[in-house]
Amino acid sequence: MTEFTLYTFLAASLGLIAIGIGGVILSRNLFRIVLALSIAEAGGNLLLVLIGFRHDAIAPIIEPGRTMTTMVDSIPQAMVLTSIVIGAGVQALALALAIRARASYGTLDMGIMRARMEADINRVAGAEPAASLHAPARPMLTERKA
Amino acid sequence: MNPSVLALVPALPLLAAFLLPLVPGAARRLVGPLTLLAVAFIGLNLWPMAQTEPMVLAVGNFAPPLGITFYADTVSALFVIAVALVTLVLWPWSGSDAGNLDRKQSLTLILAGACGGLAVSGDLFNVYVFYELAAVASFGLAAGARTAAAQIATFRYVVIGSLCSLLALLGITLIYVQTGTVNLAHLAQLAPHTLHNPLGLAAFFMILLGLGVKAELFLVNTWAPDVYATAEARVSGLLAGLVSKLALLAVARLLVLIFPLPEARDALLVLGMLGILSGEFAAFRARDVRRMLAWSSIAQLGAAFVAFAIPGPAGLAAGLAVALHHLLVKPALFLLADRWGGSLAQITGAARNSPVSATLFVLFILSMIGVPPLPGFWAKYLLLSGLAAQPQGLWWLAGAIILLTTVVEAVYLFRVIGALYGHDHRATPKSQSATAVIGSGVFAAVLLAIAFSAPLLALPLNRMAVQMADSAAYIARVLPPVLPGVAP
Amino acid sequence: MTSLDLLLILSGLTTLTGFTFGNHRAYPWLAGIVLTAQIGILASMPLPMAAGFGFEMFGRPVGWQMDGFGRFFALITLGAALASVAYTGGEWGERYAAEGKNLRWLHGALAGNVLAMLLLLASGDLIAFFIGWELTSWAGFLLMAQGGERALRAAMRYVPYAMAGAMAVLGGLVLTLTWTGTLDLSQLVMLVPGLANWKLALLLALFGTGFAVKMGLLPVHLWQTPAYAEAPGAATAFLGAISSRMGLFGFGLLLVKLITLTRLADLSFIDGLFSARDLIEWVAALTIVLPTFTALKQNDARYLLAWHGIGQSGYMLLGLVIGDATGSAGGLLHVFNHATYQAALVLSVFAVMHRTGTADLNSMGGLVARMPFTFLVMLLGIIGLAGLPPMNGFVSKWLIYRSLMIEGRPLLFLMTVLGTLGTILSVYKLIHNTFLGQLRAEHEQIREAPWSMLVPMLALVALAFVTGVAPGLALDYVNQAQAALGLPVMAHTLGGVESPRGSLDMLWIVGVLFAGFGIGALLFYGAGGRSKRIHQLDNYAGGHFLSADVRYQYSDHFYAGLMHRIGPLYRGSFTQMEAALVSANDLLASLMQAWYRQAVPALTLLIATVLGLAWMIWR
Repeated sequence: MTEFTLYTFLAASLGLIAIGIGGVILSRNLFRIVLALSIAEAGGNLLLVLIGFRHDAIAPIIEPGRTMTTMVDSIPQAMVLTSIVIGAGVQALALALAIRARASYGTLDMGIMRARMEADINRVAGAEPAASLHAPARPMLTERKA
Repeated sequence: MNPSVLALVPALPLLAAFLLPLVPGAARRLVGPLTLLAVAFIGLNLWPMAQTEPMVLAVGNFAPPLGITFYADTVSALFVIAVALVTLVLWPWSGSDAGNLDRKQSLTLILAGACGGLAVSGDLFNVYVFYELAAVASFGLAAGARTAAAQIATFRYVVIGSLCSLLALLGITLIYVQTGTVNLAHLAQLAPHTLHNPLGLAAFFMILLGLGVKAELFLVNTWAPDVYATAEARVSGLLAGLVSKLALLAVARLLVLIFPLPEARDALLVLGMLGILSGEFAAFRARDVRRMLAWSSIAQLGAAFVAFAIPGPAGLAAGLAVALHHLLVKPALFLLADRWGGSLAQITGAARNSPVSATLFVLFILSMIGVPPLPGFWAKYLLLSGLAAQPQGLWWLAGAIILLTTVVEAVYLFRVIGALYGHDHRATPKSQSATAVIGSGVFAAVLLAIAFSAPLLALPLNRMAVQMADSAAYIARVLPPVLPGVAP
Repeated sequence: MTSLDLLLILSGLTTLTGFTFGNHRAYPWLAGIVLTAQIGILASMPLPMAAGFGFEMFGRPVGWQMDGFGRFFALITLGAALASVAYTGGEWGERYAAEGKNLRWLHGALAGNVLAMLLLLASGDLIAFFIGWELTSWAGFLLMAQGGERALRAAMRYVPYAMAGAMAVLGGLVLTLTWTGTLDLSQLVMLVPGLANWKLALLLALFGTGFAVKMGLLPVHLWQTPAYAEAPGAATAFLGAISSRMGLFGFGLLLVKLITLTRLADLSFIDGLFSARDLIEWVAALTIVLPTFTALKQNDARYLLAWHGIGQSGYMLLGLVIGDATGSAGGLLHVFNHATYQAALVLSVFAVMHRTGTADLNSMGGLVARMPFTFLVMLLGIIGLAGLPPMNGFVSKWLIYRSLMIEGRPLLFLMTVLGTLGTILSVYKLIHNTFLGQLRAEHEQIREAPWSMLVPMLALVALAFVTGVAPGLALDYVNQAQAALGLPVMAHTLGGVESPRGSLDMLWIVGVLFAGFGIGALLFYGAGGRSKRIHQLDNYAGGHFLSADVRYQYSDHFYAGLMHRIGPLYRGSFTQMEAALVSANDLLASLMQAWYRQAVPALTLLIATVLGLAWMIWR
């Protein structure tokens, strides 16, 4: 692998991150948001792997009988492993939440869900929904005196 | 004491969390509290030793900067104790069924382990790992209320959280590219040549945002009001009180060791000020007590960021004081808001059937707005005098904002007091639950003890701040100048 | 243990006892005895008296020390508390408890106020001062919130004001610390005057705002009237007599002791157009005039008196800032004098309320026939408030007028006279609408107030009378206060002042006054002294015979002619300003909430991150 390929991969990883973040911002569907997140994370992990990569090196495994040659940096690889595991866990959790929420609200649309959540919170709290300046939390402190 | 006990701080609760479902019978309910007591015991033993010399553990005997390093100075010891005890007070004693309770207890233990790990981590990647662990545990706990609203709130929290972890990871990557290490001490050594440049600052900013999610840093705190309003009171207390503090601690360590730069301080200062402003003003129009507390917690943590931005031990002392005060007050208030979390109309006259809780509520509120001689005042005093000692400009602006928003804070908090002691006889307010009273009573006792012994505590606080601010000593302790017998 | 410790411990114990056994019948007696003992201890205390306790915080000692200035205020505080506690001792307290209100809270809060004020007045450094300041504010809040729903609302309105004031003081405190490196008052006295002008101006603005709020100076006075008026009677008397004077205490420390009046005159604004001293003098003068004329419009006796409380504080500040021996003595003496007659007036209004159930000036009249002693108290009280001999209010106001004329402030003098004019008009309305004219049918069966309430009232007016005839009694303490502040001390005699710049001998004036009355009486009775007592309705007006439902006097729209002239001048500008601030606050709050309700936080996060990174990289 040459420098050129390295840069290609670098660009690809940044592109993945951009696509992921763009997806999170643009989609309203919970499932798509999770997908976008995992794309972004893949990009981040790819970047991390590339950091320690050297095109003339071997895998960082010391075996008996092998002569010492240049190895790729092992630390980013260890970090990537951890990061992948965490990412997978979080995605599973997000998906589980999405499924549960769909069961309750019958939709996967973030906008609708937000409104329903807001309404739920207000209902539980016994508070009127937030409206405008004309509905302050309590009568204001200024009590006009004649 | 053998330094390897440091590893127990995160390991013990994590192990207990996974073993807990396997323990048979009634003993299962004892696993968590006993583990936490053990961690507290370790912390208490660490405290005196860390005062003379911070303790360093190189896991697996890979000498730093190789391998994983755990580092415990007095601040770490204090936070280890705080993690164990606060988790114990907010421990889930009951659940809807046994399986649910197991899950809750395991998650709480994971959270405690991760927080303990954050307190003693000596390298950047470990900070990231423990931080993510705490994140996953807190996602699980936040969704534990099992209402649809809680699930959506948590989902939004997960989205923001994951994006910011990605940012943090990118930041760490950048740092690693520049220096080739993630060991904090080694980074501190290398930083002046390699990281005090725009790229390093960009990395800091990314990590700041990444860790800031849990610390309710402005820009990445939009999740907080919804999650705190929907999660169980206990969980809100843990997240707002405990987890946020550990994230703060991590940021403060980065700031002290690696990025003691005016630009980094400015970033903290500006974001902190915005957090204060947005939190206090949003709380001013909150329609229910829980979200009011959530927003006020955002503001308080903003004040902590402002405090940590102040250079030198003065800033650390102020930051620690503000953070520790918030650690005591906010969980207690969330506990009390368990029954009194609704609109003000619902709690009108609640002081009649729960006089003790109402008194506790007032005590915490008074301390929060900084009425002397309660601890909140001394924290505010340290913060303001630290800010005033800085050159004018942003620093004084921050001081003015803190003074101004305290007025707003007093108004909305006194509305709650007014409602509690109100005269509306139509309302039938809920009386407080016993667990909330006991839990917040413990916090109140500690608060009062601190209030009465404040003059005695000023010195240890100062010493702690001085120790934490001394990055040269940190480097020297982790990386002794001569490393005999270690291959390069 | 020093006697200052004893004083504070006694107050602490009273507070605890008040909160626990305040509803017991013996509590007012107990508290009365303790307060009397405290007055004795305080009056006989050698000065300056340091407290035996104190602590060190962040390397700075925090301690308490009473000097002559503090003692002057502390004596008034204890006296006012004594009168208030005595007032609750009998029927008033029983009725209060019977209405379902909490007597323990009232007594606890009252004693707590005394404790907080003593801590404030004896503070030896700015931290102790701030502790006392905050405690005073919140103890005051507790006392204000006692009277029911309306009182609670008024107290809630006090919160932002009090907090803004406290935070301004805290800001001043940390700046003082930054610039001088100390918070000890005895060191600050030497260091503060040497600060640069802009620093002094900033300190003045911060501390001044805090003290102005407490004192109810324009334009931050709006909280005071409802908060004081709606509190329960005994609390209103205490609050009106001394509570807001803590602001004056602060001003005394700040303007006279720390900044010093000469430095204050150096601080000039807009190219020397006016100095900070002019500014404060004019704020004080406006505080005399505007609230006094607002009082004129009130129809509730309690609100009327509370507005006067604000107005009278302007005299005190004005006297203090003029700063010569006569003026400052007048300003300080006015604190004491105002406390005596204001407490008496408030208590008399509440005595009337106790019997009639109303303080509405439009639904009373003719009560002099039923409550003669209460009438006497109010009569003497308003003579004092209006500043006429033989009451003590005359002495202090005379000193202030005198000093204004000598020091060449004719415009300010005019303002004070205008204020006095308004005072006379409005106190006449008060006593006329309450006691004079015809008794209303529903008040036929009214009895005189009980002795438990009359005794404190009579004692207060007696004190106001005695110190009016012999102001030298009070001027001793005023002189100590002047000395402690570093002001020139005014030499005095028992009857008043004897100096080349003008003399006043009240013994002589009162002698002449009473001789005049005596001669009149002699003439009257010498000529046979024929008088006849007739029924109130046995009378006519304008050719009409009167009956119970056709009244000769109309209390409604009292000064119709005057109001026709000056009525349009009342614009409620301050209320509108307050409302505008609240609206602005609300607008900001909903903007901030919008941040937390945004639909796609990730987008704002992205934008902010990019901006933040750009700033980090290219700054």
